[in-house]
Amino acid sequence: MSEHKEEPQDGRPYKWEMVIDLDRCTGCEACVVACHAENNIRISGEQEAADGRAINWIRIERYWEGEYPNVKARFMPVLCQHCGNAPCEPVCPVYASYHTPDGLNAQVYNRCIGVRYCGNNCPYTVRQFNWFDPHWDAPLAEQLNPDVTVRQNGIMEKCTFCVQRIRQGKEQAEKEGRRVRDGEVVPACVQSCPTSALLFGDRNDPTSRVSQSAASDRGFHLLEELGTHPAITYLKRLP
Amino acid sequence: MKLKRRTFIKALGLAAAGSFLPGCEREVHHLVPYVLPDDEIVPGVADWYASTCRECQAGCGVVVRVMEGRAKKIEGNSEHPLNQGKLCAKGQAALQGLYNPDRIREPLRRPEREGRRPFEPLAWEEALTQLTERLRKVQGPVIMISRPLSGTLAELVSTFMRAIDGELYFYEPGADLPLRAASRAAFGMDAWPHIDLAGSDYVLSFGAPFLEGWLSPVSLGIAYGQMRQGRPLTRGRFVQVEPRLSLTGASADRWIPIRPGTAGLLAMGIGQILLAERPSALPETQRRTYERIYGDIPLDRIAALTDIPREELVRTAREFGSAGAPLAIGGGAACAHTNATESLAAIQGLNVVTGRIGRPGGLRFYEPALFSGTQSIPWLTERSLGELAQRALSVVLLYDSNPLHTAPPSIPLRRLFEQADFVASFSPFMDDSTSAADLILPDHSPLESWGDHVQPTSFPTAIVSLSQPVVTPLYDTRAVGDTFLSLAHRLGLSGFPRETFHAFLQDRWRRLLSEQAGTHGEEAFAAAWAHHVQQGGWWGRPGRELTVTAAPPPLPHVPATFDGDDQNWPLYFHPYPSPSLGQGRGANLPWLQELPDALTSAMWGTWAEINPHTAQAHGIRQGDIVRIVSRYGSIEVPALYYPAIRPDVIAVPMGQGHQEYGRYASRRGVNPQSILAPLFDHRTGVLASAATRVRIEATGRPGRPVLLEPSALDPGHELLTIGKARSSP
Repeated sequence: MSEHKEEPQDGRPYKWEMVIDLDRCTGCEACVVACHAENNIRISGEQEAADGRAINWIRIERYWEGEYPNVKARFMPVLCQHCGNAPCEPVCPVYASYHTPDGLNAQVYNRCIGVRYCGNNCPYTVRQFNWFDPHWDAPLAEQLNPDVTVRQNGIMEKCTFCVQRIRQGKEQAEKEGRRVRDGEVVPACVQSCPTSALLFGDRNDPTSRVSQSAASDRGFHLLEELGTHPAITYLKRLP
Repeated sequence: MKLKRRTFIKALGLAAAGSFLPGCEREVHHLVPYVLPDDEIVPGVADWYASTCRECQAGCGVVVRVMEGRAKKIEGNSEHPLNQGKLCAKGQAALQGLYNPDRIREPLRRPEREGRRPFEPLAWEEALTQLTERLRKVQGPVIMISRPLSGTLAELVSTFMRAIDGELYFYEPGADLPLRAASRAAFGMDAWPHIDLAGSDYVLSFGAPFLEGWLSPVSLGIAYGQMRQGRPLTRGRFVQVEPRLSLTGASADRWIPIRPGTAGLLAMGIGQILLAERPSALPETQRRTYERIYGDIPLDRIAALTDIPREELVRTAREFGSAGAPLAIGGGAACAHTNATESLAAIQGLNVVTGRIGRPGGLRFYEPALFSGTQSIPWLTERSLGELAQRALSVVLLYDSNPLHTAPPSIPLRRLFEQADFVASFSPFMDDSTSAADLILPDHSPLESWGDHVQPTSFPTAIVSLSQPVVTPLYDTRAVGDTFLSLAHRLGLSGFPRETFHAFLQDRWRRLLSEQAGTHGEEAFAAAWAHHVQQGGWWGRPGRELTVTAAPPPLPHVPATFDGDDQNWPLYFHPYPSPSLGQGRGANLPWLQELPDALTSAMWGTWAEINPHTAQAHGIRQGDIVRIVSRYGSIEVPALYYPAIRPDVIAVPMGQGHQEYGRYASRRGVNPQSILAPLFDHRTGVLASAATRVRIEATGRPGRPVLLEPSALDPGHELLTIGKARSSP
């Protein structure tokens, strides 16, 4: 009973957030492949990729600064920011885009009717539309993750913070009558990142690594001035 | 009708019973395929198997998620000391090697050398008999070209080759042999050093691509994160010196665009300044040797040759000299010239001059891990491959190595395949070299095989990783170890008491565990074996650090030579291994093909990186096809403006341009190797891939590079940015 505070019944909900340390990110893209493997993201192929229809839930944006020879490249991993005040949510006519009590910006695929209003309204352009049915040359489909739906033509999709992992972690913790431990649940991108540029955890737990890192004076949010209240805090790269 | 409660319940019971009846007739076994499920398979529950990544030489520990007999995901093994649960893009994409639709699924033979008749399948029995007959009646030398093998498989294959009087060679394109040779020259250590990046506070890297597939990229990536933000008060600084800013260089604080081939000169200049301005820890005689070697060329001359202002040179030397734990490393672009070994020796010497060898944050050497008997197996370089092709060979065995794609055609390698009496390949994929074989005995995927892997670079912990099959083999393939054991038995060779590679592997581990852990007796071994298979290998004992006592004089400077004069061939050609596809190994994996290059955002093809000023001077627009011409041929690729490349350099990533490598890679993009001159690092013989000079021609035709950032192609069609929207009324 001494661990009563650790039990989920203490009323504190989770608030899943991420911290991305740009001073650690090297643009290696381990996160991108991890995401594709975990979330059954389809292979678009050359033609569709050329038409701008390749799907990446996480991408590495690269910014050039300065002119030769004083030129620098800056990397920024961009994924769904899981905004607290998400511009994609109010525009969905069928409530496919909604906010979970854990602070996730979720997409209900079987509600989605493909009007793409959410994609248009997302300032981070992280929502991607399926312009065709996914296809895997046999036997590549053997790899598909059974915990994640395959999205069909006409559906909008985006990063879920690997909600299947979060759900599994929460169920396990509930069974054991405790809260999810810090670091117990991480999305695939965070798990793979060699330099530990990505951190994930519960912002409602002030002792979590993500809460402590987010308090860094290097912290900022993407397009902060739009007032979307993103759940991802970036830490500035030092010069 | 009056329905009583009792009759209602009766009716309900009947209805329920009735609903079961049709169930007996339906073929429900289609829904759940296991009436009596396999012990290891619980529907909906994942099993995790530890294994070892085989995508590069580093050998990271992995765990594979398996559900209902199918591999679902490869992740880093968090218990493995090398990669600590992390894994790179290539390692994760290896899953698509297992489930690749274009794997060779059964033994194949080519009916005739000439002509276009396709390969024909044949039974294993027959294939093994054919190869055995060839080996029995052999008239001349038998050679085997293999990707570098490790651990037990290396022992098995080298024993086999010795027993049949054959020659075994390892070949890996872009092998860091000059780095090893330079360590031998500078410290008397014939090994790849452990680079203690995590402990350094100033990293001066001469082209070393340590964040993109060099030596041990994941463990170096972990160390990089530590170096930057892992210590409370210190943020390590990082300076990259190379003609084209690489993916690794993109993370640097400062980029020094050095003239190609002069990295060693810069190191000399920095060494000069360090020796002149700082009291050195070196013994007097050694100090004098270094002063003589580094002082060979005056600083102003070095500044002119390297195209780096003298002030910048002095500043870099002072930063390096005043840092607490400076570290100088070289590789990549610095390793791609005819003077690679000398340049790297001069670079590594900077660590000697500042007393950083064997110190935290410096270059360190540890006692080699166990089973390192493979040290004596010779490595082929592009030069020695060319020499090999001149010999009259009887049988050529090829394993997971593709020299016809990774070596330039200016080295007449095809002879090696054409003139040999018989070529057999054990490769799991049809590639440019395997398609020239007479017989193919395909290997399993690494995820279907047993094996072990010895940590190849110096590392603080001695590691021998284990691989285990995580799925039942998909096709009629055989683990290459088993194939060699079958061949040995058929040839009646002695020294191969075991029937299967698994048993052979266990024998060796029995020895390892009895020597290292005092595990004796069959029962104790069985328990220990299960433990190590589950853990993913054997480690734990910290390796003994070796002290560098020998201090041979550094190598004197040699200028790099180039093919082509600077009048007719004004640009340096700079091919580099693609961060995702490497030199082409990853090109058959669609995840890697569709992985946008981090710097250009390009996918599914080849492109040329060109300084915008150079491009405009030649009338080349963004995305236009540019023709790159050397004395050995020409290639045409779309040009992408790249602001971080010297104006006298044009860069093209390697990895594409396969003739044969499955549906995702075949005839896609171009291979920059095809225009390279046969120039080598003159000490080791490794191809000097950046020693070819070229000229470029605008074709005026628009190309079609596939970019994630399409606005790069069409600056007039940029998305409205927030800033612009604000400023407009």
